[in-house]
Amino acid sequence: MSEPAFAVIGLFDSASALLEAIPRLRARTSGRVEAYTPYPVHGIEAALGLRRSPLAGMVMVAGILGAVTALSFQWWMSAVDYPIIVGGKALFSWQAFVPIMFEVTVLFATFTAGLGMLFLLNRLPFFGHPLLSSKAIAAVTRDKFGLAVEADDGLLDVEGAEAALRAAGAALLEVVPVPVYDPRHALKIFPRAALGIAVSCLLAGFVMYWAVKLFPVLPPMVHMENQPKLNPQKASTLFKDGHGMQLPVAGTVARDHMPYLIATQEEAARLVNPLPRTPAVLQMGRKVWNEHCTVCHGPLGTGVPTLTSAYGAKPANLQAQTFREYPDGKIYHVIMVGKNAMPSYAADLTANERWAVVHYVRVLQRAQNARDEDFK
Amino acid sequence: MKDSPTAAGRIVIGMAAVGAVGVASSFVAQPERFWANWLLWFVFVLTIGLGSLFIVALGHLVGARWSVPIRRVPERLAGLVVFAAPMALVALSSLPVLYPWARPEAALHPAIAGKAPWLNVPFFAGRALACFALWILAYRILTGGSVRQDQTKDPAFSVSAKRFAPVFMVIFALSITLVAFDWISSLEPEWYSDIFGVYIFAGTFLAGLAASSLALLYLMDRGRLPGVRADHLYNLGGFMFAFTVFWSYIGFAQYMLMWYADMPEEIFWYKQRIEGPWLNVILLVAVVHFLVPFFALVARDRKGDPRRLRWVAMLVLAAHFLDLYWLILPVVGTSPPLSWPEVSFALCFIGLVLLWVRRSMTIGADMPIGDPLLNEGLEFRL
Repeated sequence: MSEPAFAVIGLFDSASALLEAIPRLRARTSGRVEAYTPYPVHGIEAALGLRRSPLAGMVMVAGILGAVTALSFQWWMSAVDYPIIVGGKALFSWQAFVPIMFEVTVLFATFTAGLGMLFLLNRLPFFGHPLLSSKAIAAVTRDKFGLAVEADDGLLDVEGAEAALRAAGAALLEVVPVPVYDPRHALKIFPRAALGIAVSCLLAGFVMYWAVKLFPVLPPMVHMENQPKLNPQKASTLFKDGHGMQLPVAGTVARDHMPYLIATQEEAARLVNPLPRTPAVLQMGRKVWNEHCTVCHGPLGTGVPTLTSAYGAKPANLQAQTFREYPDGKIYHVIMVGKNAMPSYAADLTANERWAVVHYVRVLQRAQNARDEDFK
Repeated sequence: MKDSPTAAGRIVIGMAAVGAVGVASSFVAQPERFWANWLLWFVFVLTIGLGSLFIVALGHLVGARWSVPIRRVPERLAGLVVFAAPMALVALSSLPVLYPWARPEAALHPAIAGKAPWLNVPFFAGRALACFALWILAYRILTGGSVRQDQTKDPAFSVSAKRFAPVFMVIFALSITLVAFDWISSLEPEWYSDIFGVYIFAGTFLAGLAASSLALLYLMDRGRLPGVRADHLYNLGGFMFAFTVFWSYIGFAQYMLMWYADMPEEIFWYKQRIEGPWLNVILLVAVVHFLVPFFALVARDRKGDPRRLRWVAMLVLAAHFLDLYWLILPVVGTSPPLSWPEVSFALCFIGLVLLWVRRSMTIGADMPIGDPLLNEGLEFRL
């Protein structure tokens, strides 16, 4: 036995000679038979006994997976996690999901087809097939048709393969030695490539960071801000007097406007809260409290601000005896016209919201000063 | 069809005769329903013929080799355009029954009255007749020339057909849009959809492909097309696969935009067709027009498998019919009509079309034996 061989390759003059030789060769050798042709030859898959590529099935599975993924993502986001009604449509509107499902199906399927073919089936990366250094392959790239008996482990029976090829009608036999290098040697390039990508990403991140730091004047997308509009305190060419802000038309009252004629807190004491103490009203009161009152009066109304103490003013402690004994109307009046540093909330809240928050203040006070019967 | 030809022929003639009696009685009993069914069958037969004519012209246009050995089949089926011509004349005689714009009270409806310059009986009839004149002319040029070539073996026809094909494509694109807009869409003249012509084109091409595949397999079973192999069938299956997807794409695109916009002048058309029992029809169409053919033909080997192709072609043809049924019949009923008039129409026209097609299967040789590309076509491999 000579040195270990990877393959023995023989050459044929025509595609038909090759096709005829393949079954004869396959009958005479147990090694792997592979054909090398200058162009695709019809019927060669059947002659070589190649199994149908599993790629089609992989693509089908990936495509279905893509459709299901897109559908469930959209269902989860639109109907479960963040339900927003758009255009009066149902939360789960399959019609709107179909384009995304289609795109994701195609994405999954094409990526599977491309990457699956290259990396799973063709076993790339694989640089330098041993046959590429043979003389026979040069002839195959011109006008000859090659047929080879191959073995990966170097245990090829060279004499047997040569005899089988000769019996099948091949001319110009060539023994291709097992390569001295490992074809997968080049895999070492991958850690380096990964390092390169990581360094590039870091560099790009730093560049981006400094770009943002150094050019803060560059506005982001401001298309909506740059549209023509009326600003309350700005000049405007829309109205004759050149003001953006206008007085109400003479003799008119804004919709839902109720005139408030009470001047003093004492006078307001006679006002009665018109709202019933229902869970819905108390929930509205809590919402108003959390949005408007908590920043200064604190979550429990103790006058400890949640926002900042640097403000200077001292918000009232609504848990104090004075305020617990306040009639509803006096609290309502303060919300309406303001007191000390507290501004009026007449423009921010509706009458119902003001009365609801009065109820809620009572709830907060009762919660901190529970009576005996509350514990039963 | 496995019986002797005479017995099968007698059954078909009997079918057509029984059906004709039912058709005539429905004309007396329920004229509106009669005209709706008449329109349905007219459009169905016409689209099979036009789709076949399109396949023939497409082969000439792109210089396809594979389609040469099977070309005589769609060339013969294209004769159904001639079959449909008298049906169109009959339909033209009673436009006001189905088409609101043809009635006198249309003038009172501002949206319909505004379309009067386009939708009026003389212009409508003129367009329809002009279309038929052009189609029959194209049929005579393409099929007639090809049959003459059988004798003369003159390659000049192949050249002139290739020159005529792009002209036909322009005519076809415009006329198939007119079929869609005039005969179908104007049943509800307030409604409009730009893509509707493309939708009908997709169905037409599919109908031509399905009918051609069936006729081809029929001839192959009788050994009349030696040399036609799975490689040729593969292309028909591939086209059918592609265009069921195309049909779904167009149909869904039209629906999704109208569903999203929800404009009253558009969505009423869909509300009529997806609310109530009609919903079942379109769901069935979605299954037989898209889902089943898609999965039946998606695998490579199945596209050229004669057994698979035969039932898929039957299914696609039925699906195309059901699609037209869903488009046309809602104008006469809020629930899908299916009773003796529909059965009679089916018996009558399936019978007549089968007889017509059987007779047309004797036009010329079974393959275009005078075409210089025939041998190249027979050698076609995937």
